[in-house]
Amino acid sequence: MENNNIFEIRHLSKAFGSHQVLRDIDFSVEKGDVISIIGASGSGKSTLLRCINLLETPSSGEILFHGQNMAGKGVNAPAYRAKVGMVFQSFNLFNNMTVLENCMVGQIKVMKKDRETARLHALEYLEKVGMSPYINARPRQISGGQKQRVAIARALAMDPEVLLFDEPTSALDPEMVGEVLGVMRSLAREGMTMLVVTHEMAFARDVSSRVVYMNQGVICEQGSPAQVFGNPQQPETREFLARFIDN
Amino acid sequence: MDKLTKLITDIDKLWGAYSTAYFTGIRNTLILAVAATLAGCLIGLLCGVLNTIPCSKQDHPAKRFFLKLLRALIRIYVEVFRGTPMVLQAVFIFYGLPYFTDGAVAFKGMSGIWTASLLVVSINTGAYMAESVRGGIISIDPGQTEGAKAIGMTHVQTMVNVIMPQALRNIIPQIGNNFIINVKDTSVMFVIGFVELFATHRNIVGVNLLYFPSAVIEMVAYLTLTLLASFGLRWLERRLDGDDNYELVSEDSLAMSAGTYSHPNRSPFEEQSREYNKNSLDDEARERIRQELKYGTPKGDR
Repeated sequence: MENNNIFEIRHLSKAFGSHQVLRDIDFSVEKGDVISIIGASGSGKSTLLRCINLLETPSSGEILFHGQNMAGKGVNAPAYRAKVGMVFQSFNLFNNMTVLENCMVGQIKVMKKDRETARLHALEYLEKVGMSPYINARPRQISGGQKQRVAIARALAMDPEVLLFDEPTSALDPEMVGEVLGVMRSLAREGMTMLVVTHEMAFARDVSSRVVYMNQGVICEQGSPAQVFGNPQQPETREFLARFIDN
Repeated sequence: MDKLTKLITDIDKLWGAYSTAYFTGIRNTLILAVAATLAGCLIGLLCGVLNTIPCSKQDHPAKRFFLKLLRALIRIYVEVFRGTPMVLQAVFIFYGLPYFTDGAVAFKGMSGIWTASLLVVSINTGAYMAESVRGGIISIDPGQTEGAKAIGMTHVQTMVNVIMPQALRNIIPQIGNNFIINVKDTSVMFVIGFVELFATHRNIVGVNLLYFPSAVIEMVAYLTLTLLASFGLRWLERRLDGDDNYELVSEDSLAMSAGTYSHPNRSPFEEQSREYNKNSLDDEARERIRQELKYGTPKGDR
């Protein structure tokens, strides 16, 4: 399979008990894509992202990562997750470590780098997200926006091929949303491949190369931001966007 | 009043004659309690980690069977050793093993008694700690595990680096509890001939029948031990929590050196140092850095 696709997701389904959360999801991610996944709460956006990172086990279907199926048995999930970064809504920084240690521990334990190399690499990304003055702080001592920027640096320090963002600004105060989105914008400009589940329509419209609208566990519509926001084809998409603009 | 004076003389008499014996008792009690609590914690940690290995339907059937078996065994261990008195467990192991092996495995002499006591108290503490550790682990936000998994950590790496340090902090009060219980409950080891603080009392009063005065000494000794343990553990907790403050690290090295640079300016020797400092460039640089600190670095200057 010779193409640029990092991911190819085929017929992905996920059920929690009898509740079908994802149905027959098909889409692919190319290198450099910035894909925003939008949709109402409960439409399966987050579950899709968590399935891609194997934090949830898909019920059926395939997740091809460079042509290799990761949704089957006998997959080395930790090795795969090390290449696919994830940023969570609730940050999930390690509370027992400082900001700097948070960004070093994965490099040391998973990538087996030595401490000094890991430290320099971590500092590089902490600098990038503007958190280098806070390297000695503990997560409980910094604000939500700062935590999320550290979480982004922690994911970046693993040199992932793709970054997954699960509603990265939903748990933040309005005045902190901007600083996190700013970091994400600059990442997108630098060509990072990103999948972003978000309610920030402006971000989806301005930054992404593709917008995916999900409704009740299926991909209802996808296309360029201009297509989806400017000229939505499906009535559900139109209704969803209208509701968002009203708010 | 008479009684009190009598008590004091009796205690004085006992202490004069047997203080070495009491101290040996205290020493043995402490060694056994500390060693068994540590060993019990290790057993508990191991059980806690093994107990929380994730088991999903995707896993190989052999792995799932093995994990189920492991959990069942841990469960049985915990229930049996929590559910029976330690004094009986001691008798069971001390006399049971030689009974079944026709004396091939036996606890002979002083070292045998020490081994058996350590074994029994450790296993017993381990059973309690296993549950405490399990509680400590499930009290940690699942987000911590997800964060660790998301950067590619395995279950063991996640446990050792992220979950355990936090869980341990949370179960230190439990560990303290167990230690204090052990200080007191090691007394039941007298049934297999272990001479700790309480056995010392039994030996001494057996000779002179001064039951109450000796019991007073015992009470004070036990209370001192447990109070010291409480204070020690509180101190450890505070230390583990760390400082509430953190230092901001200056992000560029020049600003840091500028901070130290400005220091002589504020010293009473300022005039003098200016006078001796004939190199005007230094003053200029100092001025520039001071301006930068005040108004920020001009863009593109570096």
